[in-house]
Amino acid sequence: MEKMKMLVVDDEERFLSTTKKLLAKKGYDAVTAASGAEALEKIRVQNIHVVILDVKMPGMDGNATLKEIKRQYPLTEVIMLTGHATMESAIDGLKSGAIDYLMKPADIDEIIQKAEEAFEKRQGLEEKIRVAKMRKLMKSPSEIIQET
Amino acid sequence: MMRKIILTSMILVPLIPFILALGTGYHYFTTSLENSTISSLQRIVEDHRHMIESFLKERKHDLDFILHSYTFEYLSQHEKLDGVFNHLQGGSHAFVDLGVFNEAGVHVAYHGPYSLRGKVYKDEEWFKEVIRHGYYISDIFLGYRQIPHFVIAVTREEADKKWVVRTTIDTVTFNNIVKGVRIGKTGEAYILNANGILQTEPRSGGKLMDKHPDNIEYPSSNTSIKTFINKDVKGEKYLYTTTWLQNKKWLLVVRQERADAFKALTSAVYLIVLISITGGSAIVAVAYYVTNLIVGRMEKMDTAKEQLNQQLIGASRLAELGEMSAGFAHEINNPLQIIKNEQSLIEMNLSELKETGHLKESESLAELEDSMDQITLQIARCSKITQAILKFGRQDEPKPQNIDLRSFIPEITGMVAQKAVVHGISIEQDIAENTYPVHGDSAQLQQVLVNLFNNAMDAILEQHGTSGGKLLVKAGPKENNTVEILIKDNGVGISPESLNKIFSPFFTTKSVGKGTGLGLSVCYGIINNMHGSMEASSEIGVGTTFTILLPAAV
Repeated sequence: MEKMKMLVVDDEERFLSTTKKLLAKKGYDAVTAASGAEALEKIRVQNIHVVILDVKMPGMDGNATLKEIKRQYPLTEVIMLTGHATMESAIDGLKSGAIDYLMKPADIDEIIQKAEEAFEKRQGLEEKIRVAKMRKLMKSPSEIIQET
Repeated sequence: MMRKIILTSMILVPLIPFILALGTGYHYFTTSLENSTISSLQRIVEDHRHMIESFLKERKHDLDFILHSYTFEYLSQHEKLDGVFNHLQGGSHAFVDLGVFNEAGVHVAYHGPYSLRGKVYKDEEWFKEVIRHGYYISDIFLGYRQIPHFVIAVTREEADKKWVVRTTIDTVTFNNIVKGVRIGKTGEAYILNANGILQTEPRSGGKLMDKHPDNIEYPSSNTSIKTFINKDVKGEKYLYTTTWLQNKKWLLVVRQERADAFKALTSAVYLIVLISITGGSAIVAVAYYVTNLIVGRMEKMDTAKEQLNQQLIGASRLAELGEMSAGFAHEINNPLQIIKNEQSLIEMNLSELKETGHLKESESLAELEDSMDQITLQIARCSKITQAILKFGRQDEPKPQNIDLRSFIPEITGMVAQKAVVHGISIEQDIAENTYPVHGDSAQLQQVLVNLFNNAMDAILEQHGTSGGKLLVKAGPKENNTVEILIKDNGVGISPESLNKIFSPFFTTKSVGKGTGLGLSVCYGIINNMHGSMEASSEIGVGTTFTILLPAAV
């Protein structure tokens, strides 16, 4: 089974480094990004499954970054991390395609749990896509030949 | 201060015209009454003088008639004189006797009760006077008879010989004529001669021919009338009117006790005093009453204004605080997140070190772990506070919809019903069928009601423990298209000092760590956003009532 790869995006450097260490200790592979732009760059070069995204960041903020990620990499699951306890920003995030949200200060176990759920969902989705592709193949190899 | 001014003006404004009116009325009334009393007394004096003078004049005419109708010789005959006297007395009973005198003053003929014939009057004062003036009316005197009487004498010259006819006037008849005046209770009339000797008997007492003790003022001229007030010997004040009779020979005095004469005046004074006292006290009483009413209203209005001001200040302060604390909470959350992560890292490292045997079980390690637990706990506490603050100051738009309280309130009571049952609290619901729907965010309104229910139950637990708690939820329509929701408990109550502050953020009476002090201020903000109002009344040991007033949905 594929191992989950996480990306943590926040403008707080110390938060990134500690979270990375914690995740590593828990046995998760995580990369970090200090801004929205950096995050997009990281996703472009690596296969990221789950993004933990801070809502409030200087420059490109969480929601804008989320939209861009979803536009470019629809299968990448995003969990919003918000300092606001407002349903509003969470709802905005969910509307734009985030799978879940977390309120700061979030416990590391909470983050992992949500990330796992997101990863499962993504895997389920990938599985479905794979099965669908398989069926397509099984049904009519000639069509596939034609398609390619 | 205000009260004094109002009271003074309320009393003075009606009192001054009232007193002026009474005073003016009194002045004009007394003046006119005095004038009319005096003038009526003067008229009586005048009439009386006229009557007395007429009486005397008639008697003189009677004598004149006799003098000219008969000769001296004729009248000197005793029997003839008798006849004439009888005629005379037929005209007036005032005549007591009749006598004829010759020039030498010898009483030639006499008809009367005494035997005076032959007596010589040549040197008597009256005889000298009558010879000199032809006519004489005496003062009252005793004469030979030693009885008070007065005489009228007239003389005639016949063949160079003067003769005189004289008659005695019955003092009783004359007295009665003079005394005949009756004015009020004490009015009386009498005659004095120029020396102040009584010529008739006053009704109030005093003997004929005595000197009258009163201090009498005399009129200046023959016909004028003098009016004055003097004390008599007993010290009683009398109103006197005097006028001369008989060419200043006699003085007619009419007097009446002052109090009697001005009786109407006295009753008027009593009446005025009575009116002044009752009217004055009525004015003062009404002024007091109205002033109390006005001052009371003003104070009430002032208090209401003050309360409104405080509420307004409170509301704007709440809004400011809300914004400020939301920003503040947000800023706290980020470092809090880092702290939390660092703490997790430390814990992990600790357990790793323990597992690898680098750290041995020791007291210090136990303490360290305890501290770590404490940090976890305190971070959780901080995060709870900031989340509450953020809820309180949140900027997001509510999702308003029409809420039917008739089903909405029971739903929410249902949510707390389990807790109520556990704590032995009976919930009573009284939701009127005609309760209007309200417009607002149902989640927010739910938050408000749940918060109030929880507070109420906490208060009840504190007061009653787990039995005897009562919680009443009441809803119904109110005037001006509003709906009232009442949440009443029989809990421990809120002190008046605390009651002023319950809607302020961070105000809590719960022990440290138990409450954030934001619940009610959040509720307040929500109801405020729904254009409603919320207030609390409470009594220590009796319970608290929260009243929410919301506009009905249109």
